[in-house]
Parts: sequence; structure tokens; C-alpha cells
Amino acid sequence: MTVGLRQTWALAWRSVTGVARLPQAWFPALFFPLVLMAIFTGSFASAPGGIPGFPPVRSFLDFAIAGAVLQGVLIGGTTAGAAFAQDIEGGFFDRLVASPTSRTSILAGRLGGSVALAIVQALLFIGIALVFGASIENGLPGLLAVLAIGALLAVAAGGLGIFLALRTGSAEAVQGTFPLFLIMLFFSGVFFPRETMDGWFRAVADANPITYVVEGMRKQIVGDAQAGSTLTAIGITAGLAAIALGGCALAFRRRIAGAT
Amino acid sequence: MPHAVRAEGLEREFKGGIRAVAGVDLEVATGEVYGFLGPNGAGKSTTVRMLTTLLRPTGGAAWVAGHDVVREAAAVRAAIGVALQDAAIDPFMTGRELLRLQSVLHGLRRREGQARAVELLERVGLTDAADRRVGTYSGGMRRRLDLAMALVHEPKVMFLDEPTTGLDPTSRFALWEEVRRLNSEAGTTVFLTTQYLEEADQLAARVAIIDDGRIVADGTPAELKAEIGDPTLTVTLERTGDAVAAEAALVGLGRAMPSGVGRVCLRLPEGAAALPEVVRRLDLAGVAAAGLDIAQPTLDDVFMAKTGRRLEGDAEDAVAAGAEAAAPSSP
Repeated sequence: MTVGLRQTWALAWRSVTGVARLPQAWFPALFFPLVLMAIFTGSFASAPGGIPGFPPVRSFLDFAIAGAVLQGVLIGGTTAGAAFAQDIEGGFFDRLVASPTSRTSILAGRLGGSVALAIVQALLFIGIALVFGASIENGLPGLLAVLAIGALLAVAAGGLGIFLALRTGSAEAVQGTFPLFLIMLFFSGVFFPRETMDGWFRAVADANPITYVVEGMRKQIVGDAQAGSTLTAIGITAGLAAIALGGCALAFRRRIAGAT
Repeated sequence: MPHAVRAEGLEREFKGGIRAVAGVDLEVATGEVYGFLGPNGAGKSTTVRMLTTLLRPTGGAAWVAGHDVVREAAAVRAAIGVALQDAAIDPFMTGRELLRLQSVLHGLRRREGQARAVELLERVGLTDAADRRVGTYSGGMRRRLDLAMALVHEPKVMFLDEPTTGLDPTSRFALWEEVRRLNSEAGTTVFLTTQYLEEADQLAARVAIIDDGRIVADGTPAELKAEIGDPTLTVTLERTGDAVAAEAALVGLGRAMPSGVGRVCLRLPEGAAALPEVVRRLDLAGVAAAGLDIAQPTLDDVFMAKTGRRLEGDAEDAVAAGAEAAAPSSP
């Protein structure tokens, strides 16, 4: 391995360790998506046939998996941003910058940790859902596609979190943006299909990129029952990731120049 | 390489026109311990941040280990060790893990890093605590680990930003010992900021006093103190009534100074070397002395002379340092 790769690897390991050893860091990201999945599945078990416009999926649980994965990834993004901000507050970031570690390794280390956690989390959610009788229409390739979208989204969400951390230098400020993530989630096709919405609510969900990301994942799980395109989801997450990384690069330079 | 650190007209202006560092010139020789002394907010940390490539200067230039801190930042980073204020270490990781992480960041191979971690843990006395999470460490242990982390790559120049602030005296002395050893054994240049006079006095071969973003004095502690004036002799008398006789007996040894009841004070240009003569004369005059003290001018006196203020909260430290330097004796 080159020096840069070893640095990135060591920092990714530290990110994962930081989350794994602090229950308050991983618990919310596991707990909330699972609880919501359980509650919605319990409440709307008959929804696929009972709600007008609901796509003809096999079970609500199948429908709910993609949403849980996506929520976990977004919460993980906030966690990554907050952890990065804590590094800035606590001085670890200074230690990194004053060492021969490249900026790329510093960012990639944190994001690599985020991606690893997102994949573990997604596998856990999917595993639990499978135990409770869910199934993935497209099998293993479908699972891999879901994981790929989840990983790209983890880069985008983590990148946004790190961007905020670099600009504000405050973990509290980064965590303060979490309600915005929640709003993004609620006004999207994450919890219910767009087909069941109308009026302005539908218009907002139509305009929300999160909708297309979750639909692209779900396509692999429920098959053709639902509209949506996996390629669109990959395109959108890759685009968001690119924007977030560009923002991080600029914010990084700005922080060193000392403008903030 | 004649200078480990050099700055010319170094400036840093923040938004709103605040000039934290307003034109600093300094030269630190290779192998020297250099003390950067000043009160809170004087510009010490901002200067260190620029020298360690963490902050870009808005004016002037600086070179560390022969490399320009802006244009050759990468080379500077490879040459320096940095232990900044508030030891930045993860509470959830162990001392050994942090040292190994730090060695990877400095490009050491896995094996080398492992060996180096063992060696450094031993050196700073943390072998027993190596596999405990840092969250359980005391303040002194954290600082020692921080120092060890800054040493993984055997840096040529070490920057220590207020390394003992908030430490108890025992931990402070232990850290001083470590800094001395680092300098004498490895020949590492140490750039140390502090707001403690005693620390600068004890550790630094040369001291710069910074106030309000400017260096107001620099030199060896002895040179700086010599600028201020001669040591002061205080004779405490057993009998208050002997004051006049004592002053008469000591005429010619130095300039008399105002003193309290039961004491005689004078500036003694020769310092401790004049003590036998003082004792002999008092004896001849039949004056019984309860105590003789020689107080050297402190760096605080230097700071006072240059800025018109005392170093904040350090009055007690200065007194303590003076008392240690004194040579009490009684005939």
C-alpha cells in the first residue's frame, strides 16, 4: 500500500472505531430506522392492497426496507459531520493538517469510515427484514445495487456533514441541521409511495432528489411493482457526492487560509 | 542549516482588521530551546499556527527547517512535531492505538510504528497505561502522550504550545524534564510558548517576549534580566534599631533602596559574590542579621519594564521563582 492509502485506511479505521466504541453514536442510526420500519409495517401491513394508488408490492416490509437503509445512511452522514467538527473543536484536525497526511486522505478517511458503517448498517436492516419474511426481487445483484447506492449516498451525506463541519467548526451546528434531513425525508417517497400523494405534497416529493434515490433502491427490492430507476438513483447520488466533495475541498482550503 | 525557525515581518490579520500578529521577526538556532513568552491573547498561538502551516500568514514570511511555511508546507510538516494547546486526543482510543495511528500518518511502516509506540510509551512513562482508553488518563498523562505522539517521526523541530498550562507542579516538572532530554539527547530544536515566567526561565536558552502581536524583547533570560538592573540584597535585622548602623556598614557596596521596618535593602551589582563582604561588615558593626536574601530580577520585571504591566496571574510564580533563586544565609 502507498503511504496515502495507509493513512486513509488508518483514519477510516479510527472513524469506525470512534462510532463503534460510542453507543450514542451508533444507537440512533440503528434504532430509529428499525423502529419506524417496525411501526409502519405493523400499522400498514395491509396497505399495499388497501391504500388507493399503492403499488402492488408483495408486502409493506419489502416496501419499507429501502427507506430504512436511506434513513440510516443520512443519520450516519450527520454523525460523520459531527465527528469531523469535534476533531476541529478538539484539535485533532490541527494535528492531521500539521502532519504530512494529505487533505485527500483526511477527507477519504472520514468518508471511508462512513461508507463502511453505511454498508454494515444496510446489511443489518436487510438481514432483519429478510428474517421477518421480506425478499429481494433482484436477488444478489439487487442487494449489491442497493449497497452501491447506499455507499454513494453515504459519501454525499458524509460530505455534506464534513462541509458543514469545515465551515462552522462546531459539532453542535452540524447536529443542528439534522431536522432539515428529517424534513427532506418526510417530504419524499421514503415512507410512502409518491403514487399515494397529491397536491403540493406530491409536488414537493416530486422535486425532492431523495425520492428518486429511495425509488431506485426500492426498484431492486420490489421489482417492477414500482416506478423509478436504479440508474437515476445512482446518477443522483453520484452527482450529490461530487457536489459535496467539491464543497469540502473549497471549505478545506478556506479554513486553512483562515478566513473562517 | 543555521536557523531552525526564522520569521521576517510575520503578520496575521483577521477579519475586522484585528492584527493578532503584527510583524514578528525571530530566529531560532538549530538545537536551541526557544521560549515564546507572553500573556493570553498576545499572539503566541497565532504565530505557532503560522509556523506549523495551520494558518496562512497575511504578511511577511517564515521558514521552518529551511522550508517556506507557505510554499513548502509539505516539507515543513514532515520536519516538525506539534503538540498544541489542549492535547488533542480521542478519549475512546488507547494510548498505544493513538501512537500507532500517528506513526502511520507520518508514513512509518506498520512494524516501525509498533516498535516506536512501545519505545515512546516507555520513554514518557505510560507503558502501564498503554492499553487503557485515554479518557481515563490524568491531565499530565495526556500531555505526555501528546508529546510522545509529536515525537513518532523524530522531528527536527518541535513546537510546544503552552505544554504545561493547567498541570500540577509534579506533572509540570516531569514534562520539563522530558523537554530537556529531548533537546539534549536528540538535539531537537524546541519552540515553546508559555505564559509562565518560570517555565521560560527554566527551559529556554533564549526567550522572546511577545505582547500585543509584537516582540518587545528577546535574548537569553540572563541578558534580559541584566537589562533591568542589579540583584537586590535584603537584610532582615534581629533588632529593628540596627537599621542605621547596618546602612552605614554597607555603604559603598551598592545603592540603598527603600525598605520596610527592620530591613535594609540595596542594589548589589556584584550579586552573591558580595555576600562574604556583607557578612563581614555587618559582623564588624555588631549588627545581628536574621536573614540575608538576594533576589534576581525576574522575567516578570522584564515584562513590566517593556509593557508597563505584570504577566497576568503570574505574580505568585514570580515570587516563588525569586525565593528559589535567593541565597539565604545567616552569620
